[in-house]
Amino acid sequence: MTILMDGMRLNAREGQTILDVAREHDIRIPTLCYHEKLKPIGSCRMCIVEVEGSSTPVAACTTAVSDGMIVRTHTPDLVELRRETLKLIFLKHPMNCAACEINGNCQLQDLAHEYDINHTDLHTYNIRPVEPEPGPYATPLIQYHPRRCILCGRCVQACVEITEVGAINFKGRGALARIAPVERMGSIKPECVSCGECMAVCPVNALTEALGKKRGKAWETRKVKTTCTYCGCGCQLELNAVGETVTAVTPVDGGVNRGALCSKGRFGYDFINHHERLKTPLIRENGTWREANWDEALDFVAKRLVDIRSESGPDAIGALASARCTNEENYLFQKFIRGVIGTNNVDHCARL
Amino acid sequence: MADIVFGIWDGQIVHNGKSELWAPKLAPLQDIAEYEPGNPIQAIMGWDGFFVFDPSVDLVDMARAYMEVVQRESCGKCVPCRMGTRVAVDLLTRIADGKGSEEDIHTLRKVARLVREGSMCELGHTGMNGVLYLLDHYEGVFRESITKGVRHPRRSYHTKVTAPCIEACPERLDIPAYIDYIRSGRYTDSLSIIQEKNPLASVCGRVCVRFCEFACRRGMLDDPVDIKHLKRFVSDVELEAAVKKQAKEVRIAPDAKRVAIVGAGPAGITAAYHLLRKGYRVEIFEAMDEPGGWAAFGIPDYRLPRQVLRNEAEVVLEMGGQIHYNQRLGKDFTLKDLRDRGFDAIFLAIGCQLGTSLGIPGEELQPKGYYPGVEFLKRVNRNEPIEMGSKVVVVGGGNVAMDCSRSSLRMGAKEVHLVYRRTKAEMPADKVEIHEAEEEGVHFHFLTNPTRLLVEDGRVVGMECIRMELGEPDKSGRRRPVPVEGSEFVIECDMVLPAIGQKMDVSCLGDPPVLKLSRWNTVEVNPDTLQTSLECVFAGGDCVSGPATLIEAMAAGFRVSHSIDQYLRFGRVELTEEERMSRVLRAVAAVDEDMVDRLGRGVQRIQIPTRTVEERVDDFEEVEMGWAPEDALLEADRCLRCYRILLVATEK
Ligand SMILES: Cc1cc2nc3c(=O)[nH]c(=O)nc-3n(C[C@H](O)[C@H](O)[C@H](O)COP(=O)(O)OP(=O)(O)OC[C@H]3O[C@@H](n4cnc5c(N)ncnc54)[C@H](O)[C@@H]3O)c2cc1C
Ligand code: SF4
Ligand code: SF4
Ligand code: SF4
Ligand code: SF4
Ligand code: SF4
Ligand code: FES
Repeated sequence: MTILMDGMRLNAREGQTILDVAREHDIRIPTLCYHEKLKPIGSCRMCIVEVEGSSTPVAACTTAVSDGMIVRTHTPDLVELRRETLKLIFLKHPMNCAACEINGNCQLQDLAHEYDINHTDLHTYNIRPVEPEPGPYATPLIQYHPRRCILCGRCVQACVEITEVGAINFKGRGALARIAPVERMGSIKPECVSCGECMAVCPVNALTEALGKKRGKAWETRKVKTTCTYCGCGCQLELNAVGETVTAVTPVDGGVNRGALCSKGRFGYDFINHHERLKTPLIRENGTWREANWDEALDFVAKRLVDIRSESGPDAIGALASARCTNEENYLFQKFIRGVIGTNNVDHCARL
Repeated sequence: MADIVFGIWDGQIVHNGKSELWAPKLAPLQDIAEYEPGNPIQAIMGWDGFFVFDPSVDLVDMARAYMEVVQRESCGKCVPCRMGTRVAVDLLTRIADGKGSEEDIHTLRKVARLVREGSMCELGHTGMNGVLYLLDHYEGVFRESITKGVRHPRRSYHTKVTAPCIEACPERLDIPAYIDYIRSGRYTDSLSIIQEKNPLASVCGRVCVRFCEFACRRGMLDDPVDIKHLKRFVSDVELEAAVKKQAKEVRIAPDAKRVAIVGAGPAGITAAYHLLRKGYRVEIFEAMDEPGGWAAFGIPDYRLPRQVLRNEAEVVLEMGGQIHYNQRLGKDFTLKDLRDRGFDAIFLAIGCQLGTSLGIPGEELQPKGYYPGVEFLKRVNRNEPIEMGSKVVVVGGGNVAMDCSRSSLRMGAKEVHLVYRRTKAEMPADKVEIHEAEEEGVHFHFLTNPTRLLVEDGRVVGMECIRMELGEPDKSGRRRPVPVEGSEFVIECDMVLPAIGQKMDVSCLGDPPVLKLSRWNTVEVNPDTLQTSLECVFAGGDCVSGPATLIEAMAAGFRVSHSIDQYLRFGRVELTEEERMSRVLRAVAAVDEDMVDRLGRGVQRIQIPTRTVEERVDDFEEVEMGWAPEDALLEADRCLRCYRILLVATEK
């Protein structure tokens, strides 16, 4: 089918939304609550567009296209409505970018810039301050800042769609709404597993690491793509480093985990800079440990294995592999123990 | 009749008796002068206008109060409604406190436009219309407050949040709320909303006649939201957890008052459920050996598997109620016995158990092969012996007739003929049912009426019918079918199942009956309170309405739980606030030219998957299969959330 968008005839397919088609054809419609990984939410109303036949604008992210649809994405009316909507967001959200951790890497800031929102603008509304009563967020690892929260609903949706837990939801009505753990429902209470998926999708910094250090600014942060070392899944992630210090873990698209992480991979990075962390192999001599290099350590192990095998036979050797190795590594390891050493004494720590 | 001093709805004005609105539509509104006895209505404000009956009403305070409700009801999900209505509340509060400025009126208009144009759902779209209309027509009142610094003291108002689908549902389930929870993947929350009122969610999710869908505003855009199957979806996913959950919540004191319920059909079960939640000790007396009434032994398994119903009916037991089976009123006990056993109130919910006969010659012989339709279904459902014929004629055009036809096929009939005296368009049966029966090969004979049963050696051998044609319209506006003389013909058959209605078995009430009966030989009650001619006895469901629907019976059970509660606590029964507001709402809805003039979210209606004809026609396994979560989600996304708010200002 074809639709007419801003005067251009564009090809579209059944089941696409107006936003899908616009993006496919590089027409920029501003969005805030929309997130590629989540089902469209439709809450921020920044993506509103005019559609012929509809008396009021509709959200591009939640409206399906139909053949012959006529869409306008940037009329003066729409710009005005978007601008007013942004102003309403800033009635609660503090305009405090200089002190904000994600300054320079923030969709809301970008929109404020694009639509020229500034402090004096907000005075026309002149309302009583909105202070949603604070409450704990779902987990000790994640901190929630109700004033900063723009209630886009991404976190709620991520918890349902990605983690499939549903630990958090909107609470309270109207301007007092905030995100809070869901209440017990009879015998069922969805418990937060501290995976941090919510935090990863938050477009502002309303969800932050409760235990982490201050994050670096976007422009001073180096991102290194790597594989998570915690288990054999092989999740892809990005270490964020300022200088030689790791300051955060952020998801990358793709990989076996398709961007999702668990609490260990996301929050457990402080060991990297820990002074007790092992950085070289150690060999015990006379009851104390001494640092060695890899060649030396491997030679030592190989020699002892050969010795023990010839003195006492292969069954005198037992081997235990780590769950932090990949499947392939574990396979190779048992092949080595069975085929080269010649014993079936091989196991894996995940069984303990 | 109350005079409207000024009113505006849909942009049409009523002024000093002159009206742009169609007068007959306005009549119901002028008829409800009083909100409750001795308390006149001063003004009504709603989603598309307002009406002033008494000029002394304080419009500024009323506008503020209305906006406060909108802000309180705003779910907080979208920006314009969440923050914009808060801005409006603050502006109106300032004006009402005598501290407003000229600028405020301008800002109010601006923010109202944003809320209307930008919000995600209908609550936002309509939430500020009333205030805008007030500003348009009474701007002077607002300006005066500003220039003279008039203070407007706060008063209290009656308010109600509802939607067309909610009002169409006899039990008034909060449909948009439970759909919204499905949309966000929160099935337990969703089911809790349904179970606030309805203990048989998965039964209704399968066989409800869906009054709500006929009122659904999405239907004005493409097709109504498939509310029924969404209900089935959540109840299938969450059932087990939910039944346990409810059971935990109730506390029943050992000395609580006792209520007896006669009949464990949908009405009885629902009443028991709500009375238990209110803390009464409840015992049900049921003539059969299982719960569910016609939903259990009438509706065939291919539409409603028995286990589904049993699971849900369990809830009464889990909550601490008792069901005594094989106890028949009129045989094993009388209403007086129940009083003597110390029950403080009684709810009669015995339904309509007897099939109506055709009233044609041959019937009186009760030949082999002749069963009242409901009797046949009962036997099929309960695995009781039936002498099955190979060529079956079913008479009637409702759901029971469809059930008889389709069950006959499944019981091995070679041919099934359905005889109905009007046309297909007038068949009261669900369109889906008719379609599925056609698919399965039932032969339909429209404009045909039976005249004689042909019987040989005590067996049915055929049925004589006559052709009909549509004559003059009757009182209900339907054209009445009249016989075409000399057009008689015979359908050879060895089985006849009349399914033209049921009636109540009044014999169980004694002779003469202990309760007053209506003209239609059903129990007579006060329609508002369901109280019978005996003060402590209430009645509802099919035994009051005549054969109707599941959800109406359940609504009666729900209604009666309020009545019995009030009766046992205060000795008298009154309308609830919800019912009073619904009454006003119906009057307002009569003038409302409802339309959807903006595009809805989401795609076309998602079809429910069904088993193919070949797969299904030989067994009683369910025909419709459930949705996968993705499909349920897409369907839920189609709901427009047509919430609307009504405010009534009264003298007291
Ligand atoms: C074949 C069939 C199909 C139907 N399909 C649908 C449908 O698809 N959708 C829909 O909405 N509605 C349908 N209905 C209608 C719906 O089932 C009824 O409206 C509903 O069950 C009425 O509920 P009730 O509780 O008032 O009465 P009932 O369901 O009739 O229950 C009455 C109960 O009281 C018991 N009882 C009767 N007499 C006595 C006595 N003397 N002492 C003790 N107990 C007694 C009965 O055994 C029964 O359990 C159908 C009805 C039939 C017959
Ligand atoms: S979250 Fe964005 S808009 Fe808000 S203060 Fe931080 S940088 Fe600025
Ligand atoms: S940390 Fe994970 S489980 Fe907890 S609320 Fe966030 S998304 Fe849900
Ligand atoms: S916490 Fe973040 S993701 Fe969640 S609603 Fe608030 S702004 Fe959106
Ligand atoms: S009620 Fe509707 S319009 Fe209001 S905040 Fe919620 S989604 Fe938006
Ligand atoms: S669209 Fe949703 S809220 Fe509106 S009538 Fe239909 S089910 Fe109800
Ligand atoms: S991006 Fe469409 S409403 Fe937020």
